[in-house]
Parts: sequence; structure tokens; C-alpha cells
Amino acid sequence: MPDQPASLIAEGLECIRGERTLFSNLSLALREQQCLHVVGANGSGKTSLLRIISGLNRADQGEILWHNETIVNNPRFFKESTQIGHKDGIKNELTAAENLAFYQQLEGVDDESLVDQYLAQMGILRCADLTANRLSFGQRRRLAFARLLQPIYKLWILDEPFTGIDVDGRQLIENVCLDHLNNGGMIVLTNHQDLQRSLLGGHLVELQL
Amino acid sequence: MNNTFILFYRREWQLMFRNTSTLVQPLCFFVIIALLFPFSLPAENELLRRIGGGVIWVSAVLATLLSLESMFKADFQDGALEQWLTHPRSLAVAMMGKAFAHWSATGLLLTLFSPVLCLTFRIPTEQIWVLFLGLLLGTPSLSLIGAIGAALTVTLHRGGVLLAIIILPLYIPILIFGAGMITQSAQGADIAGQVYALLAMLMLSITLAPFAIAGALRATIE
Repeated sequence: MPDQPASLIAEGLECIRGERTLFSNLSLALREQQCLHVVGANGSGKTSLLRIISGLNRADQGEILWHNETIVNNPRFFKESTQIGHKDGIKNELTAAENLAFYQQLEGVDDESLVDQYLAQMGILRCADLTANRLSFGQRRRLAFARLLQPIYKLWILDEPFTGIDVDGRQLIENVCLDHLNNGGMIVLTNHQDLQRSLLGGHLVELQL
Repeated sequence: MNNTFILFYRREWQLMFRNTSTLVQPLCFFVIIALLFPFSLPAENELLRRIGGGVIWVSAVLATLLSLESMFKADFQDGALEQWLTHPRSLAVAMMGKAFAHWSATGLLLTLFSPVLCLTFRIPTEQIWVLFLGLLLGTPSLSLIGAIGAALTVTLHRGGVLLAIIILPLYIPILIFGAGMITQSAQGADIAGQVYALLAMLMLSITLAPFAIAGALRATIE
């Protein structure tokens, strides 16, 4: 659908860390059903760009628009977007189900059957009552992704979503991402391997930093 | 469950009951600090009675301070803070819920326990209630103001000392009126002035501190 207007637009972004300019005059546009793959070497500013797009940091120059409105202090953007960074926001003391239930309640939903459904979808329903510190790294990753399944999120911002998980897990996460895109969602992600041959290949837009 | 304050308050309690050391440690610290004084001072009932209220107040301040450093640490380390920062819910209200949960687990608990300590200092019954009232009105401010310092130092590795340097001077007014209440009532004077002052500081911290905490978190996480 090339004639559809872009939902996420960034214009003239510049990011300076100390003395070094990581990127400048960077522009991008993302439409529904597109997945933006940010490609670059270590230290090229991928994570910085993702933090700027998710609204955690401000760009030194330029601005980001969500449906033609700046994302700064924009409740609609913060409602419709979510991010998973290197840190997953999971509490060690709580069980998998409790962790997920909190993020659901944060969105104003309180439905235990949905919690189970999301956990089952990520293949970790049998871990529902384990505290998160007893989950393996891959299971934690899946739990973090279970949060994304809430339909309220249109834009997923994922920093290296495929790191540290096995082949099955990767397949599962690719499938979840594909479903999200097919339902009109958008994804911005970084990844070290090429994604052209993955399930997401048909939706990819690459951005070289 | 659509109320941000209740949502975060409940979540903190859930976490504290899983990790009971956060509940027990400040209380133990409070009791031990206060009990050091009767042991180290001359065994004169009159002296203990006169300094008791002040000692209990200082112990409460130190116990609160001890528990502040970990207030946002875990949420920062596991990325939960970043999720709240990019959420449309009011960060200030959420942090007020967190600060009140902190108070329930430290200040309120210390207040409930303080009458027992008063006995070791031979403080007369009517002044026990004065101390109790003072702590009840003063400790919520300690948690709310302390949370600002905790938010400012959350990214530092050894922020504890800096936190103490930032926060302890801000506790002085509360300490003056809180401990002053007991001296005042021991002399048979009216304590209404101190009560109003503590209430005013409580109102001020309830209305302003949540925004300061939210602002401090936004500034430090960036």
C-alpha cells in the first residue's frame, strides 16, 4: 500500500554523544505493515536512535511525528507504542503471570484469561506460576514479548529481539511479529543478522546507520 | 483497576511481601539505633526522658534514609522505569503511590512501634502519644522528600552517601517541629503550632514532591 500516508515520520534527526556525532540529518517514514530494520555496527547509534524514537531521549535536532503530531508529551503516541530494550522490565520477585498481569493492568485491562492466553501464545503457560528469577533467559524473553500481544500497541520498538534465544523461540517471535504487521502494526527493530530471508522479509525497510 | 495510585501502591506491597527484608530491615535498624543510646549514656532516668523523643526521631530519620537508596534501584536496573516513562499514565501519581507504599513499610511501621521504644526511655504516657502523633504526621514527608533524592541518585553506583548529603538537610525542619513537639509538651505548653507546621509540610510534600520525583526520574534516565 504505497499510497497510504506514513504513521511515523522522523525529520532531520541528529544525535550527539559527547564529542561524537552518531548521526545527523536522518529522516525516516514508516507506514502500516512495515518493519524498519536499523542496521549498523556496534556503537553506530542504533540503540540511541531507538531510544529517541520511543520517546525516552530527545534528539539534539529534528523531530518525530506520530500521525502528524510530535511525539513529545503526546499521550496518544505513548499509548500506541511500546518498547523492549536490553532491560525487559520484568520483576524477579513476581511470577510470570503476575508480571504480565501488571502490564495489562497498566493498560487498564484486568482479565486473567487473557494473561493465560498470551502466555500460551508465547509457549510459556507452564511457567505461569514460576517467579521470574527461575525462568531461563529465553523464557524471560518470551515473557517480555507476551506483553506486546496486547492489541492496544500499534508500534513495537525492539532492541535486538532475537539475541539469546533458540531457533524455536526465534521462529515464534518472528511469527508474532509477522501477525502484528499483517494486522496493520509497525515495528522498528535492530538486529545483527540479515532479516531478508526471515519471515519478516516481505515487510522490511532497511535503514543503514 | 484503573487508578494509577492504587495500581502502583498495590504492586509495591506485592513486591515487598515477596522480599520481606525491605519490610524488616528499616524497623530493626530503627530499634537498634534507638537502643544504643540508653546503653551508652549514664543511667539516669531524667536524662533519658529528656533526650528520648529526639533520639527516636533521629533514629526514624536514619532508618528512612537507609531504605531510600533501594527505592528506585531495582526498577531502574530491570527496565521497569523506562516502561513507566513511556506510558501515558501520570508518572507523578504513580510515584506518589510508590512513595506511600514506601511510607507504609517504613514510616508507618516505625510509628506503630515507637511507643514500645518510649518505654525504654521512660517517657510518660501522655508524651508517648505526642511522639506518636508527630511521627505519624512527619514520616510521610520523610518518604516523599526522600524519594526526590532517591530519584536523583538512581543511576549512580554508590549514590548512598550523596543521597544522605542531599536529603538530610531537607529533613531538618521536620525534625525540629517533630522533636520540638515533645519538648514543648514536657513543659506543659501547647503543641498546636508544631502540629500545624508538620501538617503544612505534609501538604506541601504531597502536592509538590510527586512532580519533583517524576521530573528527577525523567532527567536522570535520559
